[in-house]
Amino acid sequence: MNEPQHTVADEPPPFLGTWKRLYILVVVYLACVIGLFYWFTKAFAPSSPI
Amino acid sequence: MKPLDWAVMFAWLVFLVSYGLWRGRGSGSTQEFMLANKTMPWYAMGLSIMATQASAITFISTTAQAYVDGMRFVQFYFGLPLAMVILCATAVPIFHRAKVYTAYEYLEYRFDAKTRLLVTIVFLISRGLQAGLALSAPAIVLSVILGWPFRVTILIMGGLVVLYTTLGGIKAVTWADVQQMGMIMLALVLAFAVAIKMLPKDVSFFDALKLAGAAGKLNAVTTTFDWNDRYNIWSGLIGGMFLALAYFGTDQSQVQRYLTGKSIGQSRLGLILTAVAKVPMQFFILFIGAMVFVAFLFVRPPLVFQPVAMERVQASPQYAALERRYEQAFDQRQAAARAIMASAPGALQNFREAQTNLDAARADALHLSDTNDTNYIFMSFVTRYLPIGVVGLVVGVIFTAAMSAISGEINSLATVTVIDIYKRHLKKHSSDSHYLAASRVATVFWGIYAMVFASTATGFGALIEAVNQVGSLFYGGMLGVFVLAFFVKRCTSTGAFIGVLAGEAAIFATAQFTDAFLWYNVVGCLVTVAVGSLVSVSYRGSSAAFSEPCR
Repeated sequence: MNEPQHTVADEPPPFLGTWKRLYILVVVYLACVIGLFYWFTKAFAPSSPI
Repeated sequence: MKPLDWAVMFAWLVFLVSYGLWRGRGSGSTQEFMLANKTMPWYAMGLSIMATQASAITFISTTAQAYVDGMRFVQFYFGLPLAMVILCATAVPIFHRAKVYTAYEYLEYRFDAKTRLLVTIVFLISRGLQAGLALSAPAIVLSVILGWPFRVTILIMGGLVVLYTTLGGIKAVTWADVQQMGMIMLALVLAFAVAIKMLPKDVSFFDALKLAGAAGKLNAVTTTFDWNDRYNIWSGLIGGMFLALAYFGTDQSQVQRYLTGKSIGQSRLGLILTAVAKVPMQFFILFIGAMVFVAFLFVRPPLVFQPVAMERVQASPQYAALERRYEQAFDQRQAAARAIMASAPGALQNFREAQTNLDAARADALHLSDTNDTNYIFMSFVTRYLPIGVVGLVVGVIFTAAMSAISGEINSLATVTVIDIYKRHLKKHSSDSHYLAASRVATVFWGIYAMVFASTATGFGALIEAVNQVGSLFYGGMLGVFVLAFFVKRCTSTGAFIGVLAGEAAIFATAQFTDAFLWYNVVGCLVTVAVGSLVSVSYRGSSAAFSEPCR
């Protein structure tokens, strides 16, 4: 493999300490958003009693 | 549009172009022209990425999509945050450390020149087609709304883009996008506020939600799996993730944005911003479309939204009868809507019947005028019901949204043309000022190409949709080769090359069976990786066929 090796500074995220924790937060956030949309869909579905 | 609207629209256009030129001043080297000297902060990258994606087509069509089909299109974006996390952990540090100008340059480091060239050509074909589309689709709508000839609209739009992109490079593009994104949000909030204000006094916001739900417009999540259903939670999470991985990880128009970051961390934060903001933003745009639908339950919309087509219908002998049918169905639907608010028995059934009658009257009118007016629904709402001045602002924002998408595309096309073709294969050793001049020439070339393509695409309404799908035929193979490069250490250059060809063949074969194009990306990527790995194991050829790329 012929990948060039350059040193580029990496730094921790501005909060939560590590990037891994920030990524987990994004995934949890996505799950919450989809959950909220699912509730929204069910709450106003045409089949709901009117 | 009133004189104040024209004034506001032109003021916004002049401001945006001037601002882009001002921020892009001093782009005196290829590093500055293509990568902004790696000085971009995270928020500028994140907003620019979103602005490039939120083209005028999205603005005009997404609202209309909710109006017609409900909000299920939001599921298309569910895989995007997952893709962003994966890219932050893989592609961002790899590209930064390789110090490349383009994603395809990395493929030569990892494999060889022929793999780089193959993927470069795939990118130039697919992105070149889409640059023409990104110009023609909104120009068709805007030329009707503004009353300008189609080719003049293209010339103004394309000319302004070429001006600031050629002079200011990626800095001009990115900073203009930041302003553009702020204005998009303002325009959306104003449109939403007007839709809500149009509701009668006795219709509350909760009633509006109830009515939109009853009409099936709030169907944001569909959990039923169906291969042929383009938008459900599964195609969104899996297919959408692969599409976003390919788009943000291998398409130079996006990769170039995060290569401009000051550091790996800044680039990661730019992508995280997109991951967090994109899904709610798309939800909001679709929600506006649903609320416009509810507003039009109480304020009668035109029989046909496309003004020129409406004139044709009005001139036909069937117009009076059609208008009466439409009026009757509208009144029936409004009465049913009020019955739904009062929870009256049978109200939903009456509503559906009225909606069917109304749709039938509209379908007959559209048949008479031989047109599809879906893309004019939101523009019709904007020009009829928004206050004077705000109309000009929203139309101006849609105009510049088209410019924003195109500027990013021609900038990336020019960068790839110069770095991966011209500098690598045609003129290897020349001065930086020579390559800078070549970049500006390439930008003008791709700008003119997009304008010519767009202006000849008018007669191909169905073809536009077809070409859009053709664009999605290429991403799977491109993603697959980068997966091989990043994760399959034993993959050889021959394996990668054959893998891409096999992946593309698999995508074209899949397209014969389904038009659910989100799955093309999954198939193309998996086949590329599988074939690439197998060939590498059975034929350990020339992975060392490396010659140092010319930078």
